Amino acid sequence: MASADKTINTDVPEKDVFAIHFLQSLSNLRIQNLFNSPDTTNYRVRKIKKAAYVSMARAAGGTSRLWSRALLRRAAKGNNKIVRFPRRKRKVTWKISSKRRRSDQRAPVVEDAAERLRNLVPGGGGMETSKLMEETAHYIKCLSMQVKVMQCLVDGLSPK
Amino acid sequence: MDLTGGFGARSGGGGGPYREPIGLESLHLGDEFRQLATTTLTPDNAGGSFTALLELPPTQAVELLHFTDSSSSSQAAAATTGIGGGDIIITPPPPPPPPLHSFGGTTLTFPSNSALMERAARFSVIATEQQQNNGNNNNETPTSSVPSNSSDRVKTEPPETDSTMENQSLCPNQTNRSGKRKDFDKKVKSSTKKNKISEETEKLPYVHVRARRGQATDSHSLAERARREKINARMKLLQELVPGCDKIQGTALVLDEIINHVQSLQRQVEMLSMRLAAVNPRIDFNLDTILASENGSLMDGSFSGTAMQLAWPHQAIETEQSFHHRQLQPPPPPQQWPFDGLNQPVWGREEDQAHGNDHSNLMAVSENVMVGSANLHPNQVKMEL
Repeated sequence: MASADKTINTDVPEKDVFAIHFLQSLSNLRIQNLFNSPDTTNYRVRKIKKAAYVSMARAAGGTSRLWSRALLRRAAKGNNKIVRFPRRKRKVTWKISSKRRRSDQRAPVVEDAAERLRNLVPGGGGMETSKLMEETAHYIKCLSMQVKVMQCLVDGLSPK
Repeated sequence: MDLTGGFGARSGGGGGPYREPIGLESLHLGDEFRQLATTTLTPDNAGGSFTALLELPPTQAVELLHFTDSSSSSQAAAATTGIGGGDIIITPPPPPPPPLHSFGGTTLTFPSNSALMERAARFSVIATEQQQNNGNNNNETPTSSVPSNSSDRVKTEPPETDSTMENQSLCPNQTNRSGKRKDFDKKVKSSTKKNKISEETEKLPYVHVRARRGQATDSHSLAERARREKINARMKLLQELVPGCDKIQGTALVLDEIINHVQSLQRQVEMLSMRLAAVNPRIDFNLDTILASENGSLMDGSFSGTAMQLAWPHQAIETEQSFHHRQLQPPPPPQQWPFDGLNQPVWGREEDQAHGNDHSNLMAVSENVMVGSANLHPNQVKMEL
């Protein structure tokens, strides 16, 4: 890739790491006895989707990435059994408003797209545009890896 | 040109004609000044700086005129401040040092070389940081600002410089130069050169941005420009990531494409999770029994012997070929299952799980693959969930 990548690190682990995490989360779901008596398919779907995202966040580097951190925190709000955070030493608070006002003046085309990206990428609300793009790149890579893993699983499990 | 050994001149007057130039390089001086310095530092030319200046070719002498103006005034000041003067000077003649210190003490506005710029880039950290520390005080005595900076900042200086005082005299040079650099470079470029070089040094704590021709040089616009360059670099990264974005022209469309890609990936995840949910209840789940039996056998690190190796690589290779253009790292050889290297650090960061031995449990699950599930095709991934 270009030389700029020397400084921007967007490596993601290999597929097997994602696979392990996903399988683990699925077995967790299994342990919770969800599938023996599913009330609604929708409920199950949502659980699996959430498990997929959480496992992806963990596989991608736990709390060392902004988006994964935000994802895990979002998941932790709902169910504290599944996700537990190591307590961070410092509470980092970002002043979003001051950044945002100034950023609107800068290349409004880019900023509109950045706004949309912020809605898509977890944890995007507190990031500056350049940081946001870095996170998006990593997020895209992790998402595609997760999709691959799930595709393999589904293909393997589906009836012939 | 590396900054080896400091002012070797001090060790002995004319000892080695190349020691002086090398030492002077650390002052960011160009070739013409090396000449100047050698002429001034040789004990023979005990005359003042002006005669030395006049020995230079006239074209360069013109550019040195600003030095001469300020050098004359600050010679006295420099001589009296004695900025580490004792170490840099060749002991015999006192007059020669002032030219050097005048360079240090005054605003250095010398024509920019390409070599200079490279060297400048190296010292940009020092320069910009010092600039921030000192503001734009070009004319005050450097010693005040030096002690705070010299200890931290001169890491790129040659470690074998004979004394820190040398560095002290060098730092202010950089400070003063950087203070004026942005403005001066614009003038220089418009008058002498037309090359537009802008450096983006993302890894440094401060971005050293060069003013292009005809562009404003106030700090706001420079910061803006640096920021825009950062964003553009990352956008290029994203462009290469998303398939089909290279051909699109214009940032708006590229960004739209990126957003669409993220949305499509998220939708794919949702779709696959629905399919998984539909598929799941059909399969027997024997994790407990498998855990009990397989726990011991899975404790060894290499999983090459496990059945997973047979099952996964088939699927892995098929999909990897289709997605190969997206892979940044080469896919791991199917025979090795580098779990330990990958998982230990990853899982070290994790929170507790319901299971004690995550590692072995999951391998048990995957080991389960080969412990026959009659429904599945032998070539595909066999999993029991």
